Amino acid sequence: MKHTFAFTALAAIMALAIPAKAETLVFSSWGGTTQDAQKAAWANPYTEKTGLQVMQDGPTDYGKLKAMVEANQVTWDVVDVEGDYAAQAGKNGLLEKLDFSVIDKSKLDPRFVTDYSVGSFYYSFVIGCNADAVTACPKTWADLFDTAKFPGKRTFYKWSAPGVIEAALLADGVAADKLYPLDLDRAFKKLDTIKSEIIWWSGGAQSQQLLASAEAPFGSLWNGRMTALAKSGVNAETSWEQNITAADSLVVPKGAPNLEAAMKFIALATSAEPQAALAKATGYAPINLESAKLMDAETAKTLPDQQTASQVNADMSYWAKNRDAIGERWYAWQAK
Amino acid sequence: MSTYSDASSVSAPVPRALRRAGFSGVVPALAFVAIFFIVPVAALLLRSVLEPVPGFGNYAELLGSATYLKIFANTFIVSGLVTAISLLIGFPVAWALAIMPGRLASVIFAILLLSMWTNLLARTYAWMVLLQRTGLINKMLMGMGLINQPLPLVNNLTGVTIGMTYIMLPFIILPLYGVIKKIDPAILQAAALCGASRRQCLTRVLLPLAVPGMAAGALLVFVMSLGYFVTPSLLGGTANMMLAELIAQFVQSLVNWGMGGAAALVLLVVTLSLYVVQLRFFGSQNTGGR
Repeated sequence: MKHTFAFTALAAIMALAIPAKAETLVFSSWGGTTQDAQKAAWANPYTEKTGLQVMQDGPTDYGKLKAMVEANQVTWDVVDVEGDYAAQAGKNGLLEKLDFSVIDKSKLDPRFVTDYSVGSFYYSFVIGCNADAVTACPKTWADLFDTAKFPGKRTFYKWSAPGVIEAALLADGVAADKLYPLDLDRAFKKLDTIKSEIIWWSGGAQSQQLLASAEAPFGSLWNGRMTALAKSGVNAETSWEQNITAADSLVVPKGAPNLEAAMKFIALATSAEPQAALAKATGYAPINLESAKLMDAETAKTLPDQQTASQVNADMSYWAKNRDAIGERWYAWQAK
Repeated sequence: MSTYSDASSVSAPVPRALRRAGFSGVVPALAFVAIFFIVPVAALLLRSVLEPVPGFGNYAELLGSATYLKIFANTFIVSGLVTAISLLIGFPVAWALAIMPGRLASVIFAILLLSMWTNLLARTYAWMVLLQRTGLINKMLMGMGLINQPLPLVNNLTGVTIGMTYIMLPFIILPLYGVIKKIDPAILQAAALCGASRRQCLTRVLLPLAVPGMAAGALLVFVMSLGYFVTPSLLGGTANMMLAELIAQFVQSLVNWGMGGAAALVLLVVTLSLYVVQLRFFGSQNTGGR
């Protein structure tokens, strides 16, 4: 008797769940203020336009994504990932090809478009400084690596990703157009010189906390976090000198249950207005080239796309190829 | 625990029907454990000998690299330190709890349990705020003129040890309390009457009787510390990375499940062997610590 009841209940739940699933789309991102902004700028207009619900999930986890695809149990339809990961995962067969008859790529910044991914937003690693806590703020990567001129703790991104290795090489005098292929030996040697003075940040909120509390009065941060810090009243100074760009990307895992809806969602998310709305909310730059026209001048000034003169582009295809090898060296060096 | 082992050692013939009923009652629980724990763990461990190429390459790399060996050493050093300090702080607390009036003891228990039930991440962040260079503790010490330079209390071994000890304390106090509470006060009185000094009462009567509780608590804390992730990751520096963090990096960030599985198996083997040693020396009836 009990069993019959359980099975009936299970069948009823499944019957309810299947049609509900067909009308929803699951979007996974990194959580925090960025995902809140993505929900407001992308998911809400998408629901208004199509009537489809967008469920928010996260945080994005590459191990989980791989497990879903391998087990053929994909629950994410659209995922926000780092650009270098997107390039690698596309090659490794973990992603669906994007349908560019639905997604209009003619208006998108070509730096951030591949067969398997389009940019989500783009950001820069900039040199951030709490001007109240120090007598002088470092302006260049060389300054940030100069412990004699700028004594004290500095903070850097903890994970193996484009940004820190490039900064070390630029600080050591490598020309911006000669960065790739990365000279890892030289980069780690340079990093060794400040290793004892580094406090690592593993998430954006932590980087803000470190800077605001002057635990590490300067360091390399995502530009959006600096904008938010300045807004919150901290005397936060940003140097855009050789700001290093990288992008987040939107991808569709292989076997995603709502493929068509996923393409439509990406098409909307990368269109001019939602991109502009996200940029206003986060301080990260739009990847749609027409969004700039929709921005107010005040916000536009603070975005990486206004800083292209001094910009250094992290090479995502190089990173995609060498991501694993760099990662292993990176963590081994950190733990040493 | 003790009643169970007594019953099984007598091994009175249990009626077959009763035995079968008892067994079928256990089946769902065993199936649950098998499906949701043993199968996934076995799958991950299999990957450690199958990926990227079949063989023991992952283990060779793991145990042959100075960096990874250092992470193993870190894991044991931190766990050992945390266990020792927890024992040092926990014993007097457990003793005090056992002899203090019931109402006061229940207030202290409530505080202990409340701290256990508070979100781990929140507590770890709280320690970060307290311990950092511009944090409360350093500011207070500098304000009192005791130090000129802020002490490095976080992002290093000190930070991990403080944070983890704080989190592990209830796990050592509770089993110790159970054992000390069971010690008949008359034994201590008898020792005193026979002329034992207070010190001798402690070292020759109370401590030996509390050894099973200490062993159970220490094992619990040590084993939990071996697999700890959040606190070392947030309060430690990269130089004191522990095994759990390495496994997380392999699985989530590098997506190298072969190495992740190998590291997980090493951790599992170490944990199980410690448990076996504990059972051998102290027996199963003493780990309950009621």
